[in-house]
Order: sequence, then structure tokens, then C-alpha cells
Amino acid sequence: MLSLRNAARHWTWTRLASFAFTLLAVAFLGLMLGLFVWQSLPAWKHAGLGYITGKTWYFRQQEFGALAMIYGTFVVSAVALLLAAPVGVGAALFTAEVLPNRWRLPVKAAVELLAGVPSVVYGLLGILFLRNWVYDGLESFDLLSGDTLLTAGILLAVMILPTVMTLSDDALRAVPATQRRAARGLGLTRAETAILVGFAQSWRGMLTALLLALGRALGETIAVFLVVGRRDNALPESFYSIPPLVEAGQTLTSKLGGSETNIAYGDPLHWAAIVGLALFLLSIVAGISWAGARLMRRKEECDAPLA
Amino acid sequence: MQFHVITRCSLVSGVIFFAITSRADTLKINGSTTVNPPAAEAAEILRREKGMQIQVDTQGGSSGGISMLGDGLVQIGMASKLISDDVRARYPGIEFEEIHIGEDAVALVVSKDIWDAGVKAVSKSQMQGIYEGRIKNWQELGGPDRRIAFFNKEPGRGTWEVFAHWLYGSAKKTPSVSFPEVGGNEETRNKVASTRGALSQLSSSWADGKRVFALAIMKNDGSVVLPTNKNIASHQYPMSRPLFLLTDGKPKAEAKTFVNFILSDRGQELVRKHGYLSLKQLE
Repeated sequence: MLSLRNAARHWTWTRLASFAFTLLAVAFLGLMLGLFVWQSLPAWKHAGLGYITGKTWYFRQQEFGALAMIYGTFVVSAVALLLAAPVGVGAALFTAEVLPNRWRLPVKAAVELLAGVPSVVYGLLGILFLRNWVYDGLESFDLLSGDTLLTAGILLAVMILPTVMTLSDDALRAVPATQRRAARGLGLTRAETAILVGFAQSWRGMLTALLLALGRALGETIAVFLVVGRRDNALPESFYSIPPLVEAGQTLTSKLGGSETNIAYGDPLHWAAIVGLALFLLSIVAGISWAGARLMRRKEECDAPLA
Repeated sequence: MQFHVITRCSLVSGVIFFAITSRADTLKINGSTTVNPPAAEAAEILRREKGMQIQVDTQGGSSGGISMLGDGLVQIGMASKLISDDVRARYPGIEFEEIHIGEDAVALVVSKDIWDAGVKAVSKSQMQGIYEGRIKNWQELGGPDRRIAFFNKEPGRGTWEVFAHWLYGSAKKTPSVSFPEVGGNEETRNKVASTRGALSQLSSSWADGKRVFALAIMKNDGSVVLPTNKNIASHQYPMSRPLFLLTDGKPKAEAKTFVNFILSDRGQELVRKHGYLSLKQLE
């Protein structure tokens, strides 16, 4: 034990290399952040706080207000989360609590495979089927086309469903089997055990699953790009009305994925405004991931005495 | 967290695939989706007959082609618009060489329901009204009572530039609007075809007359001009544009082989085959 501790204190090559690589990763993140902030400075100088709160984005008039895109990003992700959460958690309750083990793993593996499908494939499926379903299904709303925030939200829900499901399933399975057995021994039914023991103890893990899924939804580009409509300045009159959901909109990612980045390159102000959007996106996703990681740690601390 | 492993594997294989396909001696071409069909077919022929390594891509349309050539990422750019002085000033070290390979027209296309309902032509002032949001219903153009679902081509696309130039004189004078946007020609055609009451700008060779239909332009005297080859060649039809291959200085090595092929009779036949006017037809 003692010699081991001594060895660890020496600068071995392994240690040095792992230290260097860790530093590299951190430095890369730091450099990227720094670069984004530095490159987007002209936009902040030009528009001030209006860069975030401004409602109009007309690059030829040098008006850069990102609010409509931030709104679009959150609406699309919220729709995705609202749709994926009940289905994903429900599916996890089924696989973790009901399915026998020899069936659980194949089902889980199949669902996890879905998470590996490239997003452009989902996007093409969205163009092929989902657009038309939304367009025909909501005909009474008199949609202009099938490209809406709602379409993008539904597509994202399908894409994040595997993440929600498999991580929720992991959270449920982390609840010790002895507790389930004890609950059953006390006369609780299977459903009561699943809800009062399984779900009650793993909700934190499920919340983490939802946050990680949200992070993926916020950053998703190609699939959203293909079905969201890419309409600038699509802010509703009031934030809680439904109709804007069935109109075309723009998200941060669909803007960044579009051709405007090619035009912006070379014009310092326009380029700064585009890089600033990337900075917004990075901050939002980083914030969500951080919250998720924190929750995960809290969960582990809570779990520790039980295990 | 098994799915992370899968994601990582697909990422790694993607990188390897990229590394293999983008060897140093590969001729890389990028740009306009309008120029792409004949260029891609020419690349296919040269690959087969001369064993050349050619990679043709359409990231970002004409602007993407220009900026990737400017950054030295590709040897040939494809563009369906002239290179502006702004762009030349932005890349002082690059000698943009515009090689004219053919001509194309921009059509205003509508979906089948509108065409069948009898809307066959649009005037400049009507189009301005639609673009500025004053005309919102097809009734005002003698069509059915349906909202106009206008898909605007992304800024930076050659198609959009030609349209803006016709309607307002230049891109700078064009009012800023917020419509749903479409990118490449395939996307435009599919979205117009699958949306009732749709209208968009599209390269005229893509207006097949089965799923999307090209409107004629109505002149002030009431006569109409369709984007036919004859009208495009004689510039009777107002929205036409040259198609270019772009190189940095005179084309060299593989790039030269490619450019010469496109300019040869066989290459020009490809230009015609994909619905554009060859250089001979323009004379």
C-alpha cells in the first residue's frame, strides 16, 4: 500500500501523459470559449443587450437581434421534452419493472441503437413523412406548410426518446432489488412497488436523463434544419399562444447551419453576430449539461448510504 | 451509456471515411446546386475513363463555393452568379477566374393546385406585392382562395440574387423580409410540390411541369414570356444568369482537365442534358 502511494507521487510517463491530455481538453474548451467571446465582441458593441433581446434580424440592415432564434430553440426543445418524457419514462418503467431480464437487454440494446442513427437520417424521415403528417393532420389550423416549430419538436422528441428511455431505465435498475423484494414482502402489488419504490427513488436520475436529452435537443442541427422552416423573426405576439407552434420558425442551430454563415464570413460585424449565436448555444447547452451533472452527483450522494 | 460507444464508433468511422476520400491528389469541387448536376456527371465520367479522384459537393451554394475556393479548400468552385467586387476585395490573394459554361433561368414555380386553378403568369408588381407581404392570397392573382405559401431562397444562393436583381435592381435594395427559407433546388422542388398554394424561385430546368410549374412573367403591355430556351437565349425572359466554374488563376493540372472536359462538346452536351443552355445555344 505504502509503495503504491509512493509510486503514484512520482512523475511516471503515464501520469504525465494523462495530465497533459486532460490539460489539452480543458485548454481546448477554454480557447474555444475565448475565441467565441473575442470574435463576437463587435456584435455586442454594435447591438449591446439588444443582441439578446432584439426581435429583428436583418443582416443587410445590420440589425442583429437573436431573440426569435433563442425562442425557437427553447420552444422546439420544450415540445420535444414534453412529448419524449412521458413516453420515455413509461417505457423505462416497463423495461425495468415488468420485462424479465432476458427480454430487457435485447429491447434496451435495440432502443440504444436508435440513438446511434445519424441525425440527417431522422431529418430525411421528417421530410418524407412527418412534414406531411403534420400538414395534413392539422389542416383545420390552415397551416401554410408542413415546416413548423411543432414538426421540428416532434422529430426531436423521436430523436431524444432513446436517451430518455435508456437512462431512465438505468436509474430504475440502480434501485436495489432487496428493497423491491421487501416491498413485495410487505404486500405491495407489483404496480405499487414500481411507483412507490422504483420511481420514488429514481426520479432524480430520470430528471438527469431528461436534462441530458434536453442538451441533445438544444444542439441538434441537421434534423431541425430540414423541417423547421428557417423563417427569421418569427416571434409570436404573446409567448403562451398556441398558433406560433404551427408556423415556421428559426432556431439557433438552423441559423448556424444555413447559408448565412458563408455570407457572413469576411464581414466582421455579421461574422461576429453569427459567432455570438454559437456562443449562446454553447452557453445554454453547457448550462444544461452542468445542471445535469450536478444532479447526477447529488443523486449519487443520496444513493450512497442506501447501497 | 452504451449509446455513447455507438456514437463514438460512427464518429470515428466517419473521420476515417473522410480521411480516405479526401486524399491530397483529389480534385475537390464545391458550390452551386444549379451547376452541380452537369459537374457531378462530368466528374463521374472522368473518374471512370481517366481514373481521376474527384469530389463534388454543394455546401452553401454559390457563396459556399466562392468562399471555399477563397480559403483554398477546393480547387474549383461552382457558381451561378458573378463574383462581386466585395468578394474580390475580401480575398485579395485570390485571382478569381470565371469560366462561363452555360446559362440558366430562374423560374417562379407554383404547386399543382395553383397551376390547375388557372394561375399561369405573374407580373413584376404582383411579385413585389407578394414579396413585401401586401398580397397574401392567390385570389388577388385570379387563383383560388388560399394563402400564398411563399418559400424564399436563402440569401447567398445564385437563384435568389437573380430574383432580387430582377425585382429590385440589387440585393442591397431588396427589402428585408421573413419567409420560410429553402436551400438547394431539390429541397425547393420537393417543398413546393408537397405544399398547397406554394410559390418559390427555382432554377427553370428543375420546373418539370409535372410536380412544380413555371409561371410566365407578365409584362406591362399584358404579354407573357415563358422561360423557354429561345426566350432565355434572346434575353426576352428577364431572369437568367450565367453558370460558372471558378478557379484561382488559370486552371492547372486536374482542374484544367475538368474544365476542358466541361467546355468540350461532350461536356456541353451534359449542360444541355440537365436543362441549361449550352454556350453554342447562346450564340
